[in-house]
Amino acid sequence: MDRAVVFPTCMGDLVSPQVPERTLGLLRATGCDASAARGGTCCGQPAFSAGHVDAARRVARTTLRALDRTEGDIVVVAGSCAAMMRRHWRELFHGDRDEETATRVSGRVVETSQALAARLPALRRLGLRWRGRVGYHDSCHMLRELRVADEPREVLGAVDGVELVELRHAKRCCGFGGTFSVRYPGVSVAMADTKLDEVSELGLDALVSCDGGCLMQLGGRADATGRDVRPMHLVDLLDEARPR
Amino acid sequence: MTTQHRDLLTETGFEELSERQLATPFIRQAVPKATDHTVAAMGALFADHDREALRDRGAAIRDEVIADLETHLVDLVAACEAKGVVVHRATDAAHAREIVRGIVRAADARTVVKSKSMMSEEIELNPALEADGVKVVETDLGEYVVQVSGDRPSHIIAPVIHLPREKVRESLSAVAGEQLPPEAEALTAWAREELRGSFLAAEVGITGVNFGVAETGTLVLVTNEGNARMTTSLPRVHVALMGIERVLPRMEDLAVMLPLLTGHGTGQQISCYVTMIDGPRREDEPDGPEEQHLVLIDNGRSALARSEYADILRCIRCGACQNICPVYRQVGGHAYGWVYGGPIGAVLTPLLRGDEDGGELAQASSLCAACDDICPVKIPLHELLVKLRRRRAEGDSAPRVEKIAFALWSRAWSVPWVYRLSGPLGRLTLLPLARGGRVRRAPRPLARWTSGRSLPLPARRPFHRR
Amino acid sequence: MTRRLDAPTELAPGADPLAAFAAGVTRSAAGVGRVAARDVAGAVMDVLGRHGARSVALSADLGPHLDAVAAACRDAGLDAERYDAIAADRARIGALDATVTGCTAAIAATGSVVLGAGAGRAAGLIAPLHVCVVRAEQVLGGLSDLFADPGRFASSSLTALQTGPSRSADIEKTLVIGAHGPCAVEVLLVEATA
Repeated sequence: MDRAVVFPTCMGDLVSPQVPERTLGLLRATGCDASAARGGTCCGQPAFSAGHVDAARRVARTTLRALDRTEGDIVVVAGSCAAMMRRHWRELFHGDRDEETATRVSGRVVETSQALAARLPALRRLGLRWRGRVGYHDSCHMLRELRVADEPREVLGAVDGVELVELRHAKRCCGFGGTFSVRYPGVSVAMADTKLDEVSELGLDALVSCDGGCLMQLGGRADATGRDVRPMHLVDLLDEARPR
Repeated sequence: MTTQHRDLLTETGFEELSERQLATPFIRQAVPKATDHTVAAMGALFADHDREALRDRGAAIRDEVIADLETHLVDLVAACEAKGVVVHRATDAAHAREIVRGIVRAADARTVVKSKSMMSEEIELNPALEADGVKVVETDLGEYVVQVSGDRPSHIIAPVIHLPREKVRESLSAVAGEQLPPEAEALTAWAREELRGSFLAAEVGITGVNFGVAETGTLVLVTNEGNARMTTSLPRVHVALMGIERVLPRMEDLAVMLPLLTGHGTGQQISCYVTMIDGPRREDEPDGPEEQHLVLIDNGRSALARSEYADILRCIRCGACQNICPVYRQVGGHAYGWVYGGPIGAVLTPLLRGDEDGGELAQASSLCAACDDICPVKIPLHELLVKLRRRRAEGDSAPRVEKIAFALWSRAWSVPWVYRLSGPLGRLTLLPLARGGRVRRAPRPLARWTSGRSLPLPARRPFHRR
Repeated sequence: MTRRLDAPTELAPGADPLAAFAAGVTRSAAGVGRVAARDVAGAVMDVLGRHGARSVALSADLGPHLDAVAAACRDAGLDAERYDAIAADRARIGALDATVTGCTAAIAATGSVVLGAGAGRAAGLIAPLHVCVVRAEQVLGGLSDLFADPGRFASSSLTALQTGPSRSADIEKTLVIGAHGPCAVEVLLVEATA
């Protein structure tokens, strides 16, 4: 039996705990011996991207050491955090006493849709069913740093009744960008509008993403403008699709 | 006609400039349309070709040059001089301006025609020549419109992407002294006639250089309008301005670099005119300039070649990163406050002008990395942005409050129990402001989030307590 | 180059260079006609007549066709001069209706013609109409074939790769044919004599 731990990320832990929880549930349902990763906080990405490397390293170290005490795949529920851990942790801890740990841990990191796509036959056996037209929004770092684009679409394809509609500009940034979203709210919001307008135009029933940052941005903008758009995490849709 | 510009970079920040652009409906309509069109054309052009392999070769050629810039420059200079080209080397913008002023003065020129050159924008050449009483005429249609309307180019390839046709008509009509017809065809035809006179009258022609080939001393210019070729054929003196990094080792490298440039710049298989210049007119040739100058301009580049930012010198100024950039397409090039807009500007401006003036631009990106993927020479633009942010954070130009905030945050969140407190603490603070689990108007610093977006409340029971 | 270059500016393997060249010229919004060597003068006159050109300059690089074309122009009552004879007279070249040049090479993949300074630097673009005579044996496959021999560029102070009429899309991305260079380009491809 394969083993995995779910790293909730700070946002998944504190703001949308249903995401790591459902990820855990789905992994277990596919027969994986999955548990919650305890003792971690944040991957350090907000500080790293803003250029504050020491701050990023300090926070990431706590998470790194906690994760090193676990075994199996480290399933990270947000694409950009997974990218940070997999792509940038080695650089962040380069020449540091925890360099070896960083190499070891980052090699175990997988993003949620990757973890689920790797267990696709078992996932299919769950009899997932969700009726509606669904768009998928690629999170930038998941797409361009992790190069994960097919897996979430494959997973959505395993849900009976889901009609996957490709957005014309699925791969264009939603405008979140971490600190960018609060440094330049005007531009950031305009970018979200471009994305949401297309979703409204297509009349989609859900807009799926695998990144809490994008979802907070798109959800927050959709809510503030009263748009009838429902941004949701992949695992939220899968959870709704599970037969009760 | 004067083209002295205020320095918007230091006077105003990106936020204010971008808000101004966001409030201009034409920009938000025209820029996405035009840039999407070019990106689509590029995609179609490379659909049946291995774009990745071509980009790899392009990047390797550029890296070969940057790794040993001075040797390639020495070769280029020798090859050019052997063909009778007068080569000048300028250390910075002021030096370059002085050299060009000297050439123009020696030529006793009253009229100078110019073909679009980003280098000329970078060294702010026009005001210097105009101050000497020289009539400077931009001949690229877009640059001409920019010049007569006292504006600035907002895109490397499409300088007036930000102007509606009606505005172009207004500006050109003012020069014509009569109301010109509104169609692009008629406006272009009018400009052709108007500029023809300048071409025939000018004593000096100034161009940029797309590539300088070290092996042969060939200067390569790429245009669609034919103005670079006019500028290098008709006036008695030709002055080519070239950033020192624009060298290619060999002629055969053009077979790689030209399709990369035109394919990514305009989505064209090839531009209408690729002009390769090998010195001044020769005795047995019917026309061409008697004098040919090449001004090699460093302006910070040789230092960059030795720095961790050397990759930026691969840039061939195709504008593709501007076309794909989700920020640029919202705000256009003027939001960036100086010569280069979009991702290339966000990287190059702080590097050429320093963090004090330009450091903020490295923040003006969501780091989506779409630019990395489109760049014909694979410049890791978003990684360079992160490096620049690091440089700024570690230097003196980052605000103190930002440094303190990150330091405090990192101390708190590196201790699990303190981190765990931040959920409930945040929830308690925001709860009175929330309705239906969301906050629509928050006090500072969260107000910058809630301007236009609502904020979800931290959960009642975080994951670690489940 | 060691590996075959895969770029949009290379001729597809197995493609017929002359057919590809003609297609490339058409794609570039220029006209193309295939003529026998003995019909070149007539074909040039047809093109000039179609465009209503009266004032014409002929470049020296027309080589063996120069005299025949000049004679045909005279017979048709056109004001035709050799480009090199009038190149210094700016007002004169500025008022030309057409130029007729040869070329030093042509590129099949892109439909481009390559002009040297011997034709006159401005000869290929100063007039509203440019007629370019290309001999079949001058047609190369792609850009890598042109640039493979750096010596090719040594014999002239300028080498111009021209593809179709000049154009600008600066105003609202509207493509306008005829910016500073010609508004029309007509290529005459001279078939190799059997």
